[in-house]
Amino acid sequence: MKYVIKKFITMLITVFFVSFFVFIAFQIIPGDPATAMLGTEATPDEVAALRVKLGLDRPILVRYGEWLIAFFFGDMGKSYSYGISVKEMIGNKIPITVTLTLMSFLMIVCVSIPLGIYLAEHKNSPITRFIDGLNRVIMAVPAFFTGIMLTFIFGLVFRLFTPGGYVSYERNLPDFLYYLLYPAIAIALPKIAMTVKLLKSALLNEAELDYVRTAFSRGNTTRQVIYKHILKNALIPVITFLGMTLSDIVAGSIIIEQVFSIPGIGRLLITSISNRDYPVALSIISMVAFIVIFINFLVDLLYKYIDPRTEG
Amino acid sequence: MKKKFALILLVLLTLTIVLGACSSTGKGDSSKITIGIAQDLEDSLDPHRAVAAGTKEVLFNVYEGLMKPAPDGSVIPAVAEKFEVSQDGKEYTFTLREGVKFHNGDPVKASDVKYSIEKIAGMMGDKPRISAFSLIEAVNIEDEKTIVIKLSEPNMELPYHLAMTNAAIIPESNKTPDTVAIGTGPYKFVSRSPQENIVMESFDDYWGDKPFIKDVIFKIEANADTLVMDLMGGSLDMFKHMTKTQVDQLDDNFRIYEGTANLVQALYLNNKEKPFDDIRVRQAMCYATDKEGVIKLAFDGKGVPIGSAVIPAFKKYYMPELNDVYTYDVEKAKELLKEAGYENGFNMTITVPSNYDPHVKTAEVLVEQYKKVGINAKLELVEWNSWLSDVYGDRKHQSTIVGTDPSSMTARAMLERYVSDSGKNFVNFSDERYDEIFKKAISTVDDEESTICYKQLETILTEKAASVYIQDMAEFVALNKKFDGYTFYPMYIIDVSKIKPAS
Repeated sequence: MKYVIKKFITMLITVFFVSFFVFIAFQIIPGDPATAMLGTEATPDEVAALRVKLGLDRPILVRYGEWLIAFFFGDMGKSYSYGISVKEMIGNKIPITVTLTLMSFLMIVCVSIPLGIYLAEHKNSPITRFIDGLNRVIMAVPAFFTGIMLTFIFGLVFRLFTPGGYVSYERNLPDFLYYLLYPAIAIALPKIAMTVKLLKSALLNEAELDYVRTAFSRGNTTRQVIYKHILKNALIPVITFLGMTLSDIVAGSIIIEQVFSIPGIGRLLITSISNRDYPVALSIISMVAFIVIFINFLVDLLYKYIDPRTEG
Repeated sequence: MKKKFALILLVLLTLTIVLGACSSTGKGDSSKITIGIAQDLEDSLDPHRAVAAGTKEVLFNVYEGLMKPAPDGSVIPAVAEKFEVSQDGKEYTFTLREGVKFHNGDPVKASDVKYSIEKIAGMMGDKPRISAFSLIEAVNIEDEKTIVIKLSEPNMELPYHLAMTNAAIIPESNKTPDTVAIGTGPYKFVSRSPQENIVMESFDDYWGDKPFIKDVIFKIEANADTLVMDLMGGSLDMFKHMTKTQVDQLDDNFRIYEGTANLVQALYLNNKEKPFDDIRVRQAMCYATDKEGVIKLAFDGKGVPIGSAVIPAFKKYYMPELNDVYTYDVEKAKELLKEAGYENGFNMTITVPSNYDPHVKTAEVLVEQYKKVGINAKLELVEWNSWLSDVYGDRKHQSTIVGTDPSSMTARAMLERYVSDSGKNFVNFSDERYDEIFKKAISTVDDEESTICYKQLETILTEKAASVYIQDMAEFVALNKKFDGYTFYPMYIIDVSKIKPAS
């Protein structure tokens, strides 16, 4: 329990620092919401007037303080670009990004773990050699390119889905899930390749260790040794990696959302940054930071479960 | 293990195909059109506060002013039925059209018109949204059908300004025009989802010709790389601002319309910044620029070269002969540079907003062209917002490439930015004679005289080489063959009401 509280406080502090630096960054980069909103119609007077109206003429720390306190109480403010509350805007987008993340993560786990074990078991078969080669190629290809290729092959050649034909989850859930399948694959593929490689080499390394020989000499079958002894130990580095991957997907989905025209958090984040709509950008970045830290926290807990020797 | 794995694969595959089969419906339906737009409406849904060209382009379908633009560049009555101008050009009497309704069902009242005009004219505390509206002294309700607009100075262009989306008539009862769009246009606003789409529906009580297509979705298509695939895959029926390269990749399911972007693309020189404070250097830049070369290399040969700040679509004011003032001539450029004391050339920076690919490409070609006269140009890519605040706002640049568009269908809209004290004069052009003639041009009641004045202004810009004018870019519209009837305007507009199902 103490451990959990300690972690939780660290989490809050980190989110605080992240949001503070983002806020400062917005002050340093050129351009502000007023120039963004007025565009080429702007005259210096109008920009100044709008800055006053938006409260941008006040000191940085005052504005940050206000934002932080409001954010803490669940009020994320109002978007400059859309004039609606940030909470409402983000609230609609979160399920999209979360679904996409979970789908691709599920794919990674479901494909790479059985596949990794299979490859370790049959390390000399031609299939293994073929998949190893394929793995190297897939690892090298970035997700957005995989995304464009998938769109071309499954969308235009086989016509299995409509490129850019995203369907909102509020309108049709199965269509929504089906559309997300392809971007999820695009995100998952390179990660699967990496996880498979990692798991395979971890398994093979473990297999060389003394306790494995002991296990065999006790009369266990290969299968028993793999599942009862080797796998448990080999999974530890894999879990670390998967934890990192999960946070990586949250960030990586931003690019994939662009490729597949998915109106998730990523699209919103990019446009809010370029419009200097910082109530939106700040809220999203702080939330993503929070999620990433939270995932790491869960991974830590998982370690303790799998390997009780881990120090808290 | 093997078996299990194969089974999982099989299940996934079946799922893919089954789901795939049930998701491919809705083809061939022409009562609904999905139009791609490159950016969301990020400024405001309030027509009076909308500033981005991309926002006005979409809102045009929802809002109307007393007048509205016609495809040939003239203006026609909309919420007003007709108008009369007094002899001295200072009083406009508008008769409101019978039976015009707002999208919420309320009839348009004279008080709504007064409210809207006063709001745009800045008579409620704000600054005027349209600079010409600062002339408005009073908006009087004569009777329920008659509105009189009084001006402090004569102005013949008022009807043109009233036709802008920025001058739309909105109901006084709508207290949140920023987020709730209510107008009188052929389409009514239904809903929006940030960064996803804007949904509209044809307005049954529209006073004019009923639109052909019932449902319209403007879908935000931020990624240029997937645009062609999305069009071919069927999730988009139309996209307006396409390049030749993109259009060439489309299959024959699309009708391609070729027009002009109605933008003055130029290498805008900061007239206050060395060495461009010297007219000889500016002229040398003009001679050193091979516009045809730019168009050929970066635009597949499509585009109309221009020599001043007015686009060809403004036929009344456009002067094609200005395009021949500075013909491409490396020797002459070198001579002028020598005269100005830059015999060995100089270093310069061209600042370009990185999100506008055509301008970046143009800059790349120009950098090469200028090497021939010894000018060492460096390309600096900046993000659009930095451009807005540094280049446009603070005028901290040496030169920049962008396209400027007319906010209304008047020559004034294109030429006002070169007046010395204009807030939009980001090239810092300053010429006394120019300022004088401009004043005359906007205040005269004689149309012929104002046309002559505007032409003089154009000529001054060319003679003084205010900037290096390059071209009005070609623009391609792709429309699915299910539809027909796309119509160009000499403005940045998508008029959905003209699009109809193909017969």
